[in-house]
Amino acid sequence: MIDFDLILRILIFPGFTFILLLTLFCDWVERKLEARLQNRVGPMVAGPGGILQPLADFIKLLTKEDIEPRDAKKTVFKFAPLIAFTIMVFAICFLPIDGASVLSTTGFNGDLIVILTFSTIASFLLFLSGWASCNPYGTIGSARVLTQFLGYDIPLFMLALTPAFIAGSLSIFVIASSQTIPYILLAPWAFVLFIIAMQAELEKGPFDVPDAESELVGGLETEYTGAKLAFLHLTRDVQIVFGAALVVELFLGGPYGPVFFGLPAFWYSLWFVLKLLAVVIVAEYITTLFARLRIDQVLSANWRIILPAAILSLMLTVAMVTWVYPLV
Amino acid sequence: MRRQNQTPNSNIDIINVIETKLKDKVQIQLGQLGKAAIVTSNGLHRDVLKAMVEADEKTAIIAITGLDLGANLGVLYHIRTSNAFLTIRAEVPKDNPKIQTVIDIIPGAVFHELEVSDLLGVVFEGNRLPGHFVLSEYWPEGVYPLRKDVKASEIKLNPPPPEEEKQPEYGKIVKIIIGPQHPALLEPEKFAVTVDGETVTKVEPRIGYVHRGIEKAAESRTYLQDVYLIERICGICNTIHACNFVEGVEKILKTEVPPRAKYLRVIALELNRLHSHLLTLGHAGLEIGYETLFQYFWRDREPIMDLIELTSGNRVYASLMTVGGVRRDLKDTDLPKIKTTLEDLRKKLPFYRQIYRDEPSIKARMQKVGVLKREDALKLCVVGPVARGSGVDIDVRKDEPYEAYGEIPFKEIVYTEGDTWARMNVRMNEVEESINIIEYAIDHLPTGPFRVKAPRVVPAGEAVNRVEAPRGELFCYIKSNGTAFPERVKVRTPTYANIPAFLKTAIGENIADVPPNFVSLDPCFSCTDR
Amino acid sequence: MTKTKKSRISPMWKRTVSHIFTKPATTKYPFVKPQLPDDFRGQPVFDIKLCVSCGLCSRDCPAKAIEMVEVEGKRRPQFKLDQCIFCYQCAESCPRNAIKSSVFYELATTDKSSLVIKPQTSVKKGA
Repeated sequence: MIDFDLILRILIFPGFTFILLLTLFCDWVERKLEARLQNRVGPMVAGPGGILQPLADFIKLLTKEDIEPRDAKKTVFKFAPLIAFTIMVFAICFLPIDGASVLSTTGFNGDLIVILTFSTIASFLLFLSGWASCNPYGTIGSARVLTQFLGYDIPLFMLALTPAFIAGSLSIFVIASSQTIPYILLAPWAFVLFIIAMQAELEKGPFDVPDAESELVGGLETEYTGAKLAFLHLTRDVQIVFGAALVVELFLGGPYGPVFFGLPAFWYSLWFVLKLLAVVIVAEYITTLFARLRIDQVLSANWRIILPAAILSLMLTVAMVTWVYPLV
Repeated sequence: MRRQNQTPNSNIDIINVIETKLKDKVQIQLGQLGKAAIVTSNGLHRDVLKAMVEADEKTAIIAITGLDLGANLGVLYHIRTSNAFLTIRAEVPKDNPKIQTVIDIIPGAVFHELEVSDLLGVVFEGNRLPGHFVLSEYWPEGVYPLRKDVKASEIKLNPPPPEEEKQPEYGKIVKIIIGPQHPALLEPEKFAVTVDGETVTKVEPRIGYVHRGIEKAAESRTYLQDVYLIERICGICNTIHACNFVEGVEKILKTEVPPRAKYLRVIALELNRLHSHLLTLGHAGLEIGYETLFQYFWRDREPIMDLIELTSGNRVYASLMTVGGVRRDLKDTDLPKIKTTLEDLRKKLPFYRQIYRDEPSIKARMQKVGVLKREDALKLCVVGPVARGSGVDIDVRKDEPYEAYGEIPFKEIVYTEGDTWARMNVRMNEVEESINIIEYAIDHLPTGPFRVKAPRVVPAGEAVNRVEAPRGELFCYIKSNGTAFPERVKVRTPTYANIPAFLKTAIGENIADVPPNFVSLDPCFSCTDR
Repeated sequence: MTKTKKSRISPMWKRTVSHIFTKPATTKYPFVKPQLPDDFRGQPVFDIKLCVSCGLCSRDCPAKAIEMVEVEGKRRPQFKLDQCIFCYQCAESCPRNAIKSSVFYELATTDKSSLVIKPQTSVKKGA
């Protein structure tokens, strides 16, 4: 028997279409916020207040000519961005958005590690896509992507384990639903460090070295045009949504919040979207504040500061959980 | 760290030095082409230069001009010392145009010699480059454009060479081409940067992509039309180019400009300097990824553009200068608006100064990057904020005041660190000095005419002139032959003198430091290529 | 080296937050047009009644944008706006002040022939 409810959940809400629309919406929020912080207007023509601008950019890229360099590795060049996009969307499907995840289950113990691995695989595929384009700028850009995300994955994993320790389980559903007090209040040091490590993973803010167009033209995107470039940009944006959603689930109590009247599913999705927007706004604000750091400064910040701080934060959380919180 | 203006060698009389060391071998004509013109021949010019360099450490070559004198080719070396500005003349016959190079005495002369050899065919022994320097690769051999017998419309370019197959290199980066089209550069030039890992080992420049032959075009237009042509060498510093040319023509004509015109010229020039510095300060932020700073600076630059539009009728090309004064007067009803705009800009300056001084990410990207030591700055003959950021205090407005700068008090900003941070801070502080100058000029504006009539046919003669553009010292040499058209116009722009400094400071640094280093020079390639 | 957010807060963060509450500095052209001064150097306006056919404007034009053509038996200047650099040297050279400035600047067009201002007996302002 075909389960129509499941298919609708996967395709429309809270599955593929919802995630796509949420991505485009977050893109618009980012651009409008950055513009306002810089005392200018931002997108304003496409749709009311410019809200259709990300969609217009996507469609414009789809209509452009698709050129492939002669010496690029064809299969990897064509399919790597697409597979990266698919994996990211699949990873988001594990997160509870309206009370339960897209697959209507409550997940399994250990799916936190699974989705973090998916994120690593997607970043690795992005690196491969730049490597396969056989262009000096692409090669340097993708090498930088590799060093950066591999380096920052380690503190990211450790900091993601902090809420797991407090909740006592590695299942995202359990972590999200057991937050009577949001973990941002119980372990604020982990939250701050997680935000910084997430900025570096998503290549935003002061850590957007692979995006450094003043030295590298386009970085790993240099040889991509047309529809492939559209998917590459979309992958980047979906990664941002994924990162923000992870922060929401782990530290801000997931979609759970007060239900006033009617369907809990509606209220849960609303709280989820609002909390997501708050994280996106904070991340974009940090981007606007600072200049771009050099690659060696980014890496030394990782190995000298973020990684020891992550270890210390883990130790501190374990100590608090074992001895302090049971007293409260 | 700022330093007061101190010139330890300012008492050296360089003419005396040359007279004692090389008496009877050279002929000194006082008062011509600067403080004096020293007539030498091939070989002797090196002795004169050596004597000057040994006597005064601040000796620098401003430019090398090539002239077509019929049967001979003239080579003029324009030299600047701590307190004098003079010219060394030499001539070589056209059928054997060889002259000895001077790059072992003053390394900063290398670009100037290459340009003269490209455009006029003078062969500098010891300084040859395979291929062309300023002209394109398809230029026919043996055709030297600035010679009088070459007509610009009759030059035929060679067809481009066939494309060669290149082997793809996977994973092995040796040469990165910061190519003619690049997001970091506003204008096209090619820099082939050889890297070893992440460290730069060599930078090879290729300039000439924007070469429009303005010096040759100026020879077929009248002086009045040339003012507009020379103004269009550069869009950002257009007023100062026009002022430079007009002052040179006025020196040949020996016209005296009325005092009100001098003050009006100063106001226009300082407005130009303000908008140029704000542009650079914002653009530097963009290079290091600081888009917010870029947007703020360019937002505050807009009222200055409105002021330029108010005083001259156009936001970019002011076209205010003419031979004999300025073309339009400053109305008294406009003065309050100028003052309020400048007051608003002055109120915003402490925030920007604090950013460029204290902001952690700017300090991380800009301090100790692209360090140019004082000895290198003197040997490579750099000018402008690049020199003032390395402890060399040269500023034409103070060393040889022109227009009304002698009567207006202002400070010269010198920093000693020599890195990118120091250069940007020099420009940041010069913004405030410019505001002070404009306000003083408005308060002390003399009454009277703003223009005198000047003849259209200029008598035969030569003149040199130098002014302080926002990017450094701008120099021109004009030769007239008694007709309504000039015989030779030579312009040496400040970025042309500063690029050798970039080639030196980039070596040994991280490849990621090349854009901030480069943009701190404030490159303007339209000026460089003319 | 890192960004030390805790000890020395960048002066930028207060400024950026305050900008959320201020009006954006953008002029929403083309819905809102800027205010121009009166002597803005826009399109040149030619008054044929004052012209004496001396030809000085054409001789002095740096961009060779003025050509003297025959109109009703007299030589009159024809302006090519795609070559004009709007320097107004023609206005200065004219002994009878027949060329004046205007504030009209929106000259972009898809039809190149509309950029040639022919001298006519009736004066037309604007492109």
